[in-house]
Amino acid sequence: MASVLALFLRASVVLVCTALATFSLLWHAPGDPALAVAIARYQAVVPDAVLDQIRTEAGFNTGFWTAFASWLRPLLQGDFGQSAVTGRDVWPELVTAIGYTVPLAVLGLLIGLFFSIPLALLATKKPGGWLDRLAVALASIGAAIPAYWLGLLLILLFAVQLGWLPAMGARTSAHVILPALTLGLGVAASLTRILRSGLLEARGQSFLPAFRRRGISRRALERDHVAPHAAIPVITVFGLELAFLLEGAVMVEVIFARPGLGTFLVSAIEARDFPKVQAVVILTAVLFVTVNLLIDLLYRAIDPRIGERDA
Amino acid sequence: MTIVARGLSVHRSGRSILYPTDIIIEPGERVGLVGASGSGKSTLGHALVDTLRARGQSVALVPQSPDDALDPLRSMQFHWREAERALGLDPDVVRRDALFEALRIEAGDMRKRPWAWSRGMQQRFVIALALLGAPDLLVMDEPTSALDPVVAAGTMNLLDAYLKERQTALLLITHDLGLAAARVSRLIVMDACHVVENAPTETVLATPQTSAAKALCAHRNWLELPC
Amino acid sequence: MEDVSLYLEPARTLAVVGESGAGKSTLIGATLGLVPCTTGQVTWAGASPRYIRPALVMQEPRSAFNPHLLLRRSVMEPCVAKRLQCDPSRLQRLCDGLEISTDLLDRRPSEVSIGQAQRVGILRALIAAPPLVLFDEPLSALDAVTQKHTARLIAELQAEEGFAAMIVTHDLGYAAAYADDIAVLRAGRIEEIGAAKAFVAEPKTAYGHRLRDAAFALGALERAA
Repeated sequence: MASVLALFLRASVVLVCTALATFSLLWHAPGDPALAVAIARYQAVVPDAVLDQIRTEAGFNTGFWTAFASWLRPLLQGDFGQSAVTGRDVWPELVTAIGYTVPLAVLGLLIGLFFSIPLALLATKKPGGWLDRLAVALASIGAAIPAYWLGLLLILLFAVQLGWLPAMGARTSAHVILPALTLGLGVAASLTRILRSGLLEARGQSFLPAFRRRGISRRALERDHVAPHAAIPVITVFGLELAFLLEGAVMVEVIFARPGLGTFLVSAIEARDFPKVQAVVILTAVLFVTVNLLIDLLYRAIDPRIGERDA
Repeated sequence: MTIVARGLSVHRSGRSILYPTDIIIEPGERVGLVGASGSGKSTLGHALVDTLRARGQSVALVPQSPDDALDPLRSMQFHWREAERALGLDPDVVRRDALFEALRIEAGDMRKRPWAWSRGMQQRFVIALALLGAPDLLVMDEPTSALDPVVAAGTMNLLDAYLKERQTALLLITHDLGLAAARVSRLIVMDACHVVENAPTETVLATPQTSAAKALCAHRNWLELPC
Repeated sequence: MEDVSLYLEPARTLAVVGESGAGKSTLIGATLGLVPCTTGQVTWAGASPRYIRPALVMQEPRSAFNPHLLLRRSVMEPCVAKRLQCDPSRLQRLCDGLEISTDLLDRRPSEVSIGQAQRVGILRALIAAPPLVLFDEPLSALDAVTQKHTARLIAELQAEEGFAAMIVTHDLGYAAAYADDIAVLRAGRIEEIGAAKAFVAEPKTAYGHRLRDAAFALGALERAA
């Protein structure tokens, strides 16, 4: 129980540090933040008096810690603040953006699982065989291809050449297919490699021959003694996969001109819109910490030795 | 039932790691399979188990270390139930308790995973698992080398007592002639993937014929080294 | 561990026996100066073991070496650590004594047999002429014939070099054959300590009896006729 409490404590420290780090990066980035806000707001060069006004509004002239505190304090009461550019509340805009990104990420993950599980199972049927080598080659190529390139290829093929699917925007539900495929193929590549090595390692465990000689069927062996061991590395990497998924989603949304967290974040960074950037950072950090916390707890359920070793 | 296996041989990557070998073991007999490391004794033991199993004969193997016999992620109860199911037996607490009693497996929480038990108790549990189906032959591969001597001696004595009244034959695989000599009535000596001697224990000890058997006999005891 | 007192003299051998968890590894750590003592101290001729740098021979010979290095590099490490010039004639003499041909040293750990690897481990321990050598289950990974061969080589080298040896082992047969004294460790305490021959003939404690009788039962010790 004490170790679970420690996990929560560690999680909150991570959250505060992340918020502070991004705030500081934005603050110390070269260029005048007030100018960036002004250009985003008025689409024109403005007189110095207006810049001064923006500085006062956004707290750019109060010093780093004061600005950080005046952002953090409302947040603790659940208020994400107002956009420095439009003056509108950040929260509703953020919710809209999430509404676009979540289906994309979930579909991407499902596509990743859909391709990687059968591929890994086929590949490990005969390690070193041609199927295995093909799967490894595909996975390596998939991991090496950047999302923006793959996205453009898919647009060329399915939208331009064949004309089957829409490429840009998010008007209909069909619009999600190409972005999700772009994202999902990348996920499939890395998941295949992890699943493959996890399965191979789990099947190479020294105790399995004894179980076979005890007369336990292949199916029961795979289900009860291989799968749980193979799951451990996959669960480990799932936390990292989530990072990949979010990062990929940002990229893919920009390529496909799709509204969502990615476009929200990129426009906010360009305009030095502190409250918006910080909102996205906090949201992703919370997501990360929660998922990794769940993974830690799941670990302890599968193999209690992990918890004992920590304590 | 008498165990008969003829012409056992094993090849791996084009090389013979066991040359054709016949093994005959009477019901209730104790046989030692000895040889230096790499002489092929474990290969022979495993090949024998696999061949007999394929033929549908009842045979069980106890590996060197409990780590090679138990899944660290599964409870002891799971292992037990799984072995019962594999043998087509219904769950029977009385039968289990009788085996545990005979091997003095104490106070083990069956819901715990193997690593929560002491190694000595894990090894006894593995032996109990092996005896569950009352096999015709029990093959033990270096059963004591992973255990403390006191625990190992206790386990071997209990097993001896258990097997005394039964038809289960024992094949004891070990590199240590001293250990085998104290437990078995017949010795099979292996060298370079061949069986080189097969005779009653006293005969091998008194008049070893081959260089492998001579080396094992000469190095049987620490205090009688040919220095 | 509590209240353990042991004395070692040059050219003599002390065997420490006892079951797993009795504190044998802790004892080795303390003797090497790696595990700090809460009370009491370890000294050699009045100095801390950190200045003496006793050598250690480990149980698993292959994993005791860096798998990527040639054995020769690993063997020379003690000399490098002590900033000693290694005398080639000493290396040759030790190799002869351990029945290692010098070209064996130009291989990697995975390319030699386990018995050879353990002899190279002993070579590494002895190369910088330490006054004290600790052996942690030095023979348990070897087969019965190799065990006895290696044990004899260790004893012969000890007679030549005059180092003191502390052997931690399960094997009472080995302890009885090669150690001058036997210490029985149990739950962090010395249960009994005395001359090896006297212990085999008649242990002083009940636990000593159990250990000895187990060795009889396993055929590790022969009952005196």
